[in-house]
Amino acid sequence: MQGPLIDTLARRGVTRRTFFKYCATLASLMALPPSAGRAMAEAMAAAPAASRRPSVIWLPFQECTGCTESITRSHSPSIEGLIFDAISLDYQETLMAAAGHQAEEALHHAMKENEGKYLLIVDGSIPLGLDGAYSCIAGKTNLEALKEAAKGAAAIVAMGSCAAFGGIPKANPNPTGAVSVSDIIKDKPIINIPGCPPIPVVMTGVLAHYLTFGTVPELDKLGRPKAFYGETIHDRCYRRPFYDQGKFAKTFDDEGARKGWCLFELGCKGPVTYNACATVKWNAGTSWPVESGHGCLGCSEPDFWDGGGFYRALSRPADPLKMAATAAAVGAAAGVAITFANRAKKSSAKAAHETVTLADLEK
Amino acid sequence: MSLEDIRVVVDAGESSPYQADALSGNAPVLLRELAEHVRQLMAAGEPTAIDLNALPLTPADLDWLKATLGEGEISVTLHSDGESTLAETACPGVWWVTHHNESGHVVSRFIEVAFVPELVKAHPEDVKTGLEYLESLIFDLS
Repeated sequence: MQGPLIDTLARRGVTRRTFFKYCATLASLMALPPSAGRAMAEAMAAAPAASRRPSVIWLPFQECTGCTESITRSHSPSIEGLIFDAISLDYQETLMAAAGHQAEEALHHAMKENEGKYLLIVDGSIPLGLDGAYSCIAGKTNLEALKEAAKGAAAIVAMGSCAAFGGIPKANPNPTGAVSVSDIIKDKPIINIPGCPPIPVVMTGVLAHYLTFGTVPELDKLGRPKAFYGETIHDRCYRRPFYDQGKFAKTFDDEGARKGWCLFELGCKGPVTYNACATVKWNAGTSWPVESGHGCLGCSEPDFWDGGGFYRALSRPADPLKMAATAAAVGAAAGVAITFANRAKKSSAKAAHETVTLADLEK
Repeated sequence: MSLEDIRVVVDAGESSPYQADALSGNAPVLLRELAEHVRQLMAAGEPTAIDLNALPLTPADLDWLKATLGEGEISVTLHSDGESTLAETACPGVWWVTHHNESGHVVSRFIEVAFVPELVKAHPEDVKTGLEYLESLIFDLS
């Protein structure tokens, strides 16, 4: 790639005006002053694409690749994806063409060449159990790889809840001994971008901020950028007026659910979850979980998987570990009964099952 | 069972989540801020912008603000990555700017104070490309 980023964009049909518009919106989303949009656009448009693009190394550990899926499906792939043209993504297993020895060589070359300057992106948690044997790349445990790559990094981005807080691998009983990046690395600036997966524009926004200003954005106490994680889902939720009026959906098919009332009693974790879903939304701004009729799972908070059940309202004591022995026995009995009921349901569902054909979907 | 057998009920009325929506009282003060920005534009030629999404404004506030500022003589529509409108208000130099994405949702909203919003002007680099294109058209004539 040659010439400034803006030329590359132009070749792909993205005009200067489109790019400036994107940067203005990005600055607005990040709660930066409107003038920052222009500064961003100019800094990025002029970024010399060929010579010294900032090197970015992306290491995948104990993860599902959902974060990569999310970022590569950002809603304006023509632009947000091209933020990547302003960087030199030197190692990303899912996206890179090289494999095996060549890939390892690219990684070590990038680390040596850009020592002290590269941005390290990590997705996935790091297993410490069995001396880290649960997850290895090129014969190295994730722990070794992380320590080695972190040494020369200017900053680390922990992409997704697994890298930021341990995520699903760390959920009870945490069989692999998974921990987060910040549990291991203590001497580098770490930006946590939690979410399962994080919102694409949050990822690209943080990258754009780093590229433009060369600094880490302002972070909250859990290391998350305040611009995106400054407010709870609940505070920005369009169903908030119903909460204030005490209008709640009690089941997923009652009158309240149909009328779009608050999902708090159905287990919505919006009040304790800091993320930007309510304002930025998902899938090209189409919708987001609460707008689709389901409560927030709280995926951008630490240990969201162990919150005591996605459908249990927050105000009820929800710690399964504190359940008394008798209650556990009652629970077990109820569980058996439910299993039988489910089995009956399953067989009747099987009997009534009709295969959906393509023609059905096109009706 | 086919899809048609599932009864879909759509409730009209009382369902708008914005029913509690009302003027917050945050909009009128913006007029004073705008006046200050316009003075600055006249004195130093300095353009500014107010990010409306960054302020605690209700939809009713935005409607009030838009109606109060009124409509001017000129409005520009930008067709790129969704539609954007840049409309001058009844106060020349004050522009109401709305950016939509490809699916038609508003992604950002600004009030710009400028003689002409930066986005409307053609960039010299683009003009250069335009000239090359024009020359190629002339070349094709012969």
